[in-house]
Amino acid sequence: MSKNAEKKSFFSRLNSMLKADFRRMFTTPLYYIMVGVSLVIPILIFVMTTMMDGTISVNPTTGEETVMEGFKNVWQIIGAISGDSSAMMAMDITSMCNINMMFFLVAVFVCIFVSDDFRSGYAKNLFTIKAKKDDYVVSKSIVGFVAGASMIIAFFIGALIGGAISGLSFAMQGINVYNIVMSMLSKVLLVSIFSSIFLLASVIAKQKLWLSIILSLGIGMLMFTMIPIISPLNAGVINVILCLVGGGIFSAGIGVGSYYILKKTSII
Amino acid sequence: MNAIEIKGLTKNYGEKQALSGLDMVVPEGAIYGFIGENGSGKSTTEKIICGLVLPTSGDVKLYNTDYTDINIRSKMGVLIEAPGCYPNYSVWNNLMLHATNLNIEDREEEVRRVLKLVRMEGSASNKYKNCSLGMKQRIGIALALMGNPKLLVLDEPINGLDADGMRIMRDILTDLSQKHNCTVLISSHILGELEKIATHYGIIRGGKMIAQMTAEELDKNCPTFVALSTKDIAKTKDILDSKYKKVVFDEAKENLRIYDDVSAEDVVKYLYDKGIIVNEISTSKIGLEEYYINLMNNKEGV
Repeated sequence: MSKNAEKKSFFSRLNSMLKADFRRMFTTPLYYIMVGVSLVIPILIFVMTTMMDGTISVNPTTGEETVMEGFKNVWQIIGAISGDSSAMMAMDITSMCNINMMFFLVAVFVCIFVSDDFRSGYAKNLFTIKAKKDDYVVSKSIVGFVAGASMIIAFFIGALIGGAISGLSFAMQGINVYNIVMSMLSKVLLVSIFSSIFLLASVIAKQKLWLSIILSLGIGMLMFTMIPIISPLNAGVINVILCLVGGGIFSAGIGVGSYYILKKTSII
Repeated sequence: MNAIEIKGLTKNYGEKQALSGLDMVVPEGAIYGFIGENGSGKSTTEKIICGLVLPTSGDVKLYNTDYTDINIRSKMGVLIEAPGCYPNYSVWNNLMLHATNLNIEDREEEVRRVLKLVRMEGSASNKYKNCSLGMKQRIGIALALMGNPKLLVLDEPINGLDADGMRIMRDILTDLSQKHNCTVLISSHILGELEKIATHYGIIRGGKMIAQMTAEELDKNCPTFVALSTKDIAKTKDILDSKYKKVVFDEAKENLRIYDDVSAEDVVKYLYDKGIIVNEISTSKIGLEEYYINLMNNKEGV
C-alpha cells in the first residue's frame, strides 16, 4: 500500500506542493479564461482603434475638435521607447491600452487562485499536514509567475495577430527583434515581483477575496508606473539583468513577508 | 506514550476567552470522544492541535514532540467543520490533489483505496459541489484517511451521514485504532454513536476540561437503576424513600428511579406488600448521553 514518503526536505516538500499547484492551475477554467482574455484584448484594441483612427470628435460646448489617434505601429502596444516623454505620462489610448494592463489581470488571477485555498477549506487540510509554510509561499509565487508570464506572452501573440489583422506596421525606427525580445523578457521577469505582491495581499486577506483584490491593486498601483520605465521598447540585456536581480530580491523579500504572515497568524 | 498532551491551553479571541487553561491527555491508539456544548471550545482545541489556530498560551505536544513538528503533522488526518475541497473539482481531482500534497507515491491507487473504504467508488467523477451532505462527509473522511495517518482529528464527522455511513465510519475508526494503532480524536453531538466506539472521553465546558475518563471508568460512573411507574407516584416515592438509598423522580419520563443495589422483583414485591401496584418496571443503566446531560446540569444520579 502506498504510504507517505519520509522525505521532508524543503525541495521535496516544494516538489509535491508545485505538483499540486500546477495540477490545479492547469485544470482550473480560470487560467484558460485569463490567458484567452489576454490573447483577445490586443486584437480588440487594434481592430477598434484602427477603425476609430482619424475620427474627429467635437466638444458640443466649446466646439473644439479632437482627432482620435490610433496605433501606428504594432510595438506601441508593447511599450514606449525610453526617453520618449510623450509615452511616459500621456493619457491617450495608446499609452493606456497596452501590455502593462496585464498586471491588473495577473492580480485578479493570483488573488482568486490563493483565496480559493482559504475559501474552500483546502488550506485547512494543507496546513495541517504541512506545518512549514515556506513551500506554500514559494510554490504559489512560482505558479503566479508562470500564470502571469503566460498572460503576458498571450497578449504579445494577440498583439501580433491583431496587428496583422489591422494592417499595422511591424517596423519601427530604432527598434529591432533583439529589443523587443529583451523588453518582453523584462516584463515577464517583472511578473515575479508583482505575483509576490499579490500573494502577500492574498495571505493577508485569506478568505476575503475582495480585500485581497483591493490590496493587490492598491499596492500594485504604486508600482505599475515602474513597468514602462524598467522595460521600455528599446530594452537591452541590462534591463533584463535589472529585472532578474530586482525580481529575485523583491520576490524573495516579499515572500518572506508572506511566510511570516502565514506563520504568525491563524489560518482560519 | 500519549498521542496528544495539552497543558494549560488558552485561546483568546479579543476579549472573549475560548479556552481557559485546558488540560488534555489522549493515549496512543485511543478513540477519544471529545464532548461539549456548542461554543465550549472543542473546535478551537482541534484547530490548535492541527496548527490552524495559534494558541494564546499553553503547551501542545503530539507524540512527545512539539505540535508544529513537520514529521508528526504529515502523519495527521483531519476533518474539521467541512471537507476542504474545491467545489468545481471532481471528487477524484480533489483527492488526487491531497495525495500529491502528502507526497504519496502511487496516488491513483491510494485514492481508489480511500474511495472504496468510504464506498464512494461510483462517485469519483462527480463534481464536489453536486454531492449531497452525506457524500461530502464521506469525502472528508476519505481525505482524512489518506496516507494511513497516525493521528486523526475529526470534528463532527458523522453529521449528515445516513445509518450505513455511520456504520462504515464506526468500522473504519475501530479498525484503524485496533489494527493500526491510529489515535482518533473525535468530537460529536451524537453521543449514542460515540459511545459505541470511544475508548476514552473528555468533557469540556467553558474552555476547560471538566472530566476525562476511560470507557471503563465511565461505565463505573454510570450506575444501574430500577425505573418504575405506578398510579400514585408521590405516595410510591415516600414509601421507597424510607427503604432505598436514592429515589429520584424523572420528570421527562414521569417515573421513579431507584439508584440502589436492588432487583426489580424485590421492588415489585415490596410495593405490593405496601398496597401499591407497579404498572411498569425495568432495570437500566444510564448512558453517555444521560451522564453528560446530568454532568452539565449537575443533577443527581451521577
